[in-house]
Amino acid sequence: MASEITEQYLKIIYNLTEDGGAAKTNDIAHALGVAPASVTQMIHKLAKQGQVTHEPYHGTTLSPKGRRIAKKIARKHRLLERFLSDMVGIETEAGHEQACKMEHALSAEAEEALCKMMNHPSTCPHGKRIPKCERAMTCEECSSEALKLSDIKEGRTATVSHLVSKNKEELCRILAMGFVPGARVTIEKRLPMGGPMIVNIKDTRIAIARTIGDVLRMVEDT
Amino acid sequence: MEIALAGNPNVGKSVIFSKLTGIGVISANYPGTTVEFYEGEAKLGEMIIDVVDLPGTYSLSGNTDEERVATDLLFSRRPDTVILVADASRLERSLVLLFELLESGYSVVVALNMYDLAKKAGLEIDVRGLEERLMTSAVPTVAIRDEGIDAVLQEAIRLRPKSGFRVRYDSHTEEIVSELVDMLDEREWPFPLRAVAVRILMGDRMIRKQAGDRVTSRADALAEKFEKQHHESIQAHIQRDRFGEAGRIADEVVSRISPAEKRRSSLSDLTIRPATGIPILLAVLAAVFLTLVFGGGLIEQALVGAYEELARGAFDNLKEGESPVVQGVLDGVYLSIEAMLAIVVPYILVFYIMLSILEDTGYLVRVVSLLDGIMHRIGLHGRAVIPMVVGYGCNVPAILATRAMGSKRERVILAVLITIAVPCSAQTAIIIGTVGNYAGVEWALLIFAVLMALLAVLGLVLHRAMRFEPSQLMLEIPELRRPTIRQTIGKTGIRIGEFLTIAFPLLLAGSIVLEILMAEGLLQKLVDPSEPFMTGVLGLPAITVVALVFGILRKEMALQMLMVLFGTSNLALAMTAHQMFVFALVMAIFMPCLAALAVLVKEFGVKSMVGITATSMLLAIAFGAVANLILGP
Repeated sequence: MASEITEQYLKIIYNLTEDGGAAKTNDIAHALGVAPASVTQMIHKLAKQGQVTHEPYHGTTLSPKGRRIAKKIARKHRLLERFLSDMVGIETEAGHEQACKMEHALSAEAEEALCKMMNHPSTCPHGKRIPKCERAMTCEECSSEALKLSDIKEGRTATVSHLVSKNKEELCRILAMGFVPGARVTIEKRLPMGGPMIVNIKDTRIAIARTIGDVLRMVEDT
Repeated sequence: MEIALAGNPNVGKSVIFSKLTGIGVISANYPGTTVEFYEGEAKLGEMIIDVVDLPGTYSLSGNTDEERVATDLLFSRRPDTVILVADASRLERSLVLLFELLESGYSVVVALNMYDLAKKAGLEIDVRGLEERLMTSAVPTVAIRDEGIDAVLQEAIRLRPKSGFRVRYDSHTEEIVSELVDMLDEREWPFPLRAVAVRILMGDRMIRKQAGDRVTSRADALAEKFEKQHHESIQAHIQRDRFGEAGRIADEVVSRISPAEKRRSSLSDLTIRPATGIPILLAVLAAVFLTLVFGGGLIEQALVGAYEELARGAFDNLKEGESPVVQGVLDGVYLSIEAMLAIVVPYILVFYIMLSILEDTGYLVRVVSLLDGIMHRIGLHGRAVIPMVVGYGCNVPAILATRAMGSKRERVILAVLITIAVPCSAQTAIIIGTVGNYAGVEWALLIFAVLMALLAVLGLVLHRAMRFEPSQLMLEIPELRRPTIRQTIGKTGIRIGEFLTIAFPLLLAGSIVLEILMAEGLLQKLVDPSEPFMTGVLGLPAITVVALVFGILRKEMALQMLMVLFGTSNLALAMTAHQMFVFALVMAIFMPCLAALAVLVKEFGVKSMVGITATSMLLAIAFGAVANLILGP
């Protein structure tokens, strides 16, 4: 497990070398808000650990090992930024600062859930690409892991992860009833003969046809 | 001074409305929709305040007919104040609609209705805190017990600064909103540009039309970009932020002071659990049906008996010495009034009272949910059950009841099924009075079976032919509750009035024409020319054509007519059992009576009415001819 400071350095180098090239010591110092001298010292340490390669007068690049760690942390950072900006409504700059602190505490499980909840965002609020996760499947396959409403058993509770509908009017109707991402839905009754499902959402009972319910993608409570 | 009542469905809005306005309420069907709304006047001291009750909606985005009617009314009436009726025990949901009203710049007073239920559920609402957060007034009410109604009205007529409360959306949405706001001109809009921008994004047709292509296409491009980037539509984000904000405020102002009492919902639950719900439903349907057929029949007899006793003499006196034409007119008037007494009070009034109770208790939506699956299999959906049951009493309210169906197509299909394949109580009387009495019960049951089969086949054929998907169900199921007498009376009154204004003039005119024809002996002239058809195709005595034509006016009169024509009350002397079977079958399918025709025109237009009538006549003749062929002379 890399230390927080290591992660921070690797992430910055990742950011600076994303479009190719090497990271200049001065740029790293600027991005981290520390003196170039301490950057040089840290780079030497990282190079010794085999995380980066440093060529004098050229700059620093990530080794495959360092890149893996850096990618993971950059992914967490950008997902968190997206979350803070979209779901919490924090300004982009403040969001960035907080994401810098939160990224180190975020577990792999939480990261996966966050990605699912936000329906696999591709970029952070600054427009940078969010690195893909290491799961051996595409985002579509990962999405389809989310259940449809009609897949959920009677008596179970699940959370709306996202909605899939081509029909905007239908979508708005469903949203207006409170089926918004993050809403918790309890299945009270599944009526027979392909009848509607009776669900409880925010203390309100709603009969919803299975076909409409399947617009909702759910993550079941564990 | 004008006030509008807004609110989610099932929050007690119409109870508040009926308490505010009392009598003099009118209902209107919004042009081009099946959505009804009500208007009335409230009095406060000397002041008269117009009150309009908007259809219950969850949102103002204009994505359903109800929402469109509500936004149109708000837009065109510009009410001075909007009273938002909220269910205090489920505040969060109502707050979302409130946010939209505030965003659009309306001056809003919140009625925290069902406050007693919230207390019972162990909730305490910090009303002051709510007012402070929303920068508007809130008044606890218990509408069914008249509590807080005056206070809401007092609050509504007070001038107050507009609330500055706005929901903040996520930063990307805010960016898009402000870009759109910059493209709009404040002078062209009666409400804040922020609301205009949000409503364009949410797909409000009216606003989009007014905003013009330049703004909407920019909005669509931005929304598309948003969706690409976030993998989620901007509408979902906007609504999610509203619900999020509502949840936050509700958490802050609502506190649980005691554990919730065990919900008194056992009956409520039993009605939607299939194992118990279906038997309950059958019992309720049977009760409705029996009340209409037997209760209605008893009231009809009593009323018509009393009317004949009271009015017959007077009309006979008037008729004395007058020309046949005048006598015909008088007879027509006499019979129309009788028909009204025979249909309106026993069947329609009784039905409307029951319907209103079933609606207001919240039972109807349970029936709809329960049967939705089964009904989909035969091309209809759950809501079709009610009009069909009603149709066994009288077709007129049944056709009116089709309004509960989602789309016009479904309404038409259902109306066709009802007018053609569901025998009304008068048609049942003919079947029982002829076939049942003289040919045996099994033959009468056979007719009902034929009609049932016709219903199923016709339903499937129409379902295929009209190529429609029954609209998908999504509706709130409220807890069962006690309806108020006042609301029941009010609703029934409005509906009866509506029925009378369509049916009575037509019935009057039709009766007069028919009576004149009879008086002039013109109807009898039909007998000879129709003989080849009546006897040749249907195998019936030619004179029965008079009863068929007469049946258009009043089906139950056809039986009496038949006896008059044959000059005997023992029909077995005049017709064979087979002839009776054919006659009853034809009468049961044959064209709807005049009152039903009038409602068909009112609800669906002349074209659909002609189509339905022609279909029913053709089917009646076809069935009669086939029955005649099979049974032989």
